[in-house]
Amino acid sequence: MSPAILKSARQVADDDSGDLSMNFREKTAWLNVIAMTVAYIFYFGLLLSGHPAGREVFPMLWLFGSIAVAHAITVIVGTIILSAQAPKSERARADERDRAIRRRGAAAGYYVLLVGMMVVGVYMPFVESGVPLANCGLLAIVLAELANSVVVLMSYRRGWHG
Amino acid sequence: MAKLPFTNDIRTLRFLAGEMTQGDLGDRVGVTRQTIAAIEQGKYSPSLEVAFRIAQVFGKPLEAVFQWETGGD
Repeated sequence: MSPAILKSARQVADDDSGDLSMNFREKTAWLNVIAMTVAYIFYFGLLLSGHPAGREVFPMLWLFGSIAVAHAITVIVGTIILSAQAPKSERARADERDRAIRRRGAAAGYYVLLVGMMVVGVYMPFVESGVPLANCGLLAIVLAELANSVVVLMSYRRGWHG
Repeated sequence: MAKLPFTNDIRTLRFLAGEMTQGDLGDRVGVTRQTIAAIEQGKYSPSLEVAFRIAQVFGKPLEAVFQWETGGD
């Protein structure tokens, strides 16, 4: 094989390097899952350690509000940074694979949320205060969102045959 | 993840088409570079539209780009 052809082949290989590199949407899915895990491990960890947010309305609203705002700011700032670093072609529009993966994640999250809400419904007659119920519902939402993100990330890594 | 019942020659066709990169092909087809990489590796089954667009870029019929594997379901 001539040196010119070898050079060309190396050039193509270099351009294709990082086949398994993450695209913009996969990176934002990672950002979501990490930010959500950290934020709500902190939140539910405080509840389990006896924080009044587990029993009283206003401490719960303050704690949840603060953590939700911190979570949202982290995701927004992270997305802006990732967006600035991503090539323009990746930022433009989700392609058909991105959309198929997103639908698959949403379907998985829906079933987790459905089961979670059933558990909340069964739990409801046994509690007098709405705070534990609200926390139980919040846990179901967090688990559903995590299931969504995990399925999205697995589909990007392991493949999606639609 | 189950193996796809077809293979493709996109990588070879890219090389023969003037060392076209995955990014170039993705731009011309309307998908990301990562989606082209996933199709080449058999990790994503493209829609019929994208399959035809890829074949059109190389000026080949669909069956010259994608081949059904004998014994595939």
